[in-house]
Amino acid sequence: MMTEADYYALFEAYRVGQLPAPARADLERRLAADPDFALRFAEFEELTGTLNAYGHRMATRRKLRAIQAEMDQEQTDIAPAAPFETQAPQPMLRISRTERRLREFWSAHRATVAVAASVAFLAVMATLFGVELWRASVKQPSLYGYTVLRREVERIKRNQRAMNRAINQIDGTKPAEEVNQGKFSGTGFALTADGYLVTSYHVIQGADSLLIEDKNHQGYHAEPVFTDVAHDLAILRIRDRKFTGFGRLPYAFKRGQSDLGEKVYTLGYPREDLVYNDGSLSARSGFEGDTAFYQISIPVNPGNSGGPLLDDRGNLIGVVSGRQADAQSAAFATKSSYLMKLVDSLSAANAGGAYRLPRTNVLAGASRPQQLRRLQDFVFVVKVYE
Amino acid sequence: MGKGQPSYTDEEFVAAIRRGDDRALAQLYRLHQPMISHFVLQNSGTEDEAKDVYQEGVMVFYEKIREGSLELSCQIKTYLYAVCRRLWLKRLAEKTRFGGRIDDHEPFLETGAEEDLMVAEERDRRFATMAEALNRLGEPCRSLIEGFYLLDKSMQQLTTDFGYTNADNAKNQKYKCLVRLKKLFFTSYKEEESY
Repeated sequence: MMTEADYYALFEAYRVGQLPAPARADLERRLAADPDFALRFAEFEELTGTLNAYGHRMATRRKLRAIQAEMDQEQTDIAPAAPFETQAPQPMLRISRTERRLREFWSAHRATVAVAASVAFLAVMATLFGVELWRASVKQPSLYGYTVLRREVERIKRNQRAMNRAINQIDGTKPAEEVNQGKFSGTGFALTADGYLVTSYHVIQGADSLLIEDKNHQGYHAEPVFTDVAHDLAILRIRDRKFTGFGRLPYAFKRGQSDLGEKVYTLGYPREDLVYNDGSLSARSGFEGDTAFYQISIPVNPGNSGGPLLDDRGNLIGVVSGRQADAQSAAFATKSSYLMKLVDSLSAANAGGAYRLPRTNVLAGASRPQQLRRLQDFVFVVKVYE
Repeated sequence: MGKGQPSYTDEEFVAAIRRGDDRALAQLYRLHQPMISHFVLQNSGTEDEAKDVYQEGVMVFYEKIREGSLELSCQIKTYLYAVCRRLWLKRLAEKTRFGGRIDDHEPFLETGAEEDLMVAEERDRRFATMAEALNRLGEPCRSLIEGFYLLDKSMQQLTTDFGYTNADNAKNQKYKCLVRLKKLFFTSYKEEESY
């Protein structure tokens, strides 16, 4: 009886080719006839085959390692070669462990880091930009879409100066000392004969000092007496020794509300000269349904703010305030009834003396140009210095 | 080194390596090592991982050549890149977190490297089982088998190394060891297959 080990001896001899011819023929015959025997042989083949292949694999791995080691050796040979050339130790070549780890981390993650950095950068820029936009939009005292009509004088100042120069050259005199033109301007009109005026609150907002100028460029200093931010109203009083009084006011203030479709007009100083505009009362509420305001179809411009709004018969019915930016000629004016309420409450509190309002309206029945001729002495430029 | 050596074309490389020319193998190894190293480093690997992956890739290529079953439909460079790329993807997936995304800087083509890798994986598994079986075989069988089959020592040398009285004794011992190894190997190999 042959043991398995004996079979293996036989198989190996057969594989190497050491088996004599008769024995080999005998074995091959048996392989063909006996499936168990054939299986045993197949297993032997697989085992030794795997062992040999495994041996090869290990040998190849050793070879490859040797090649890699040789390459690494060359690398380190080259690296320290440098200091000999320069005669000075180069600290950059000796990299500490931490630094090497950092470098590996950097080379592996630098794309991610770059993306993260640019995202952070963009986020910061977007935030700054957004905040700036927001602040710009908040700077205007009114709501979005609502444009107040005070005029920036800075732009006009330059033209003015150029004109002054030209005039001076013609005169041949020395240029006059330059006056501070003020930063903003609006319109105001007389409230009482003894020096009270009305204008819009946003005209004098942030003012250091106020100068009232009539159509002959006669200037008076004024100071705010009371302001009403919600209704965009401001009451000023002239404090000037030159001032002697306005004289009798030709218009009266309407306490009630006016009707839709009423013919209305305004006078104002959107430029250096007095400008007249007319239109109709188109709604009895203002921007976004604010009932303290009228909507009027008068083309108004920056500088018209604070101007008087009068009806056909010369009743003062409102104070021009602003316009809607995204609508065609939709301007707004504070209702005179709110102005009257304000004046009444101030009179009651007796703040700044009594208000002697005009009682009679002498404009009724007069033609429009006649009305304007009488009105123009009571409409003023309000110049604001910040 | 590296310079002034004969440079081979792809066909010459294959022919030389098939003949067992170690210088050709070394040169091939040097030629493409930077490419793979760069690739792995770019894809969140370390220098050592790059070497490992490259050696495995070259091993697949080398064994295919030695078997004579290599059908190269593209440049060796492309083939190696495909194999190493695949290997590195697998490693990354094992490391998780970065699984999937990879920056390619060489043209990546379907080179048949995928199937070659499947074969290589199967072979790896077989070798792992063999190493395991050898470990469990115990001394002196293990050294005897390893000496004969893995280190290519002659029976004569093994006889003296292990102090057998003659070569026949050593041979008989080797056969007995082989039978034990066979049992260990096939039981665990079959077990694994039944998974």
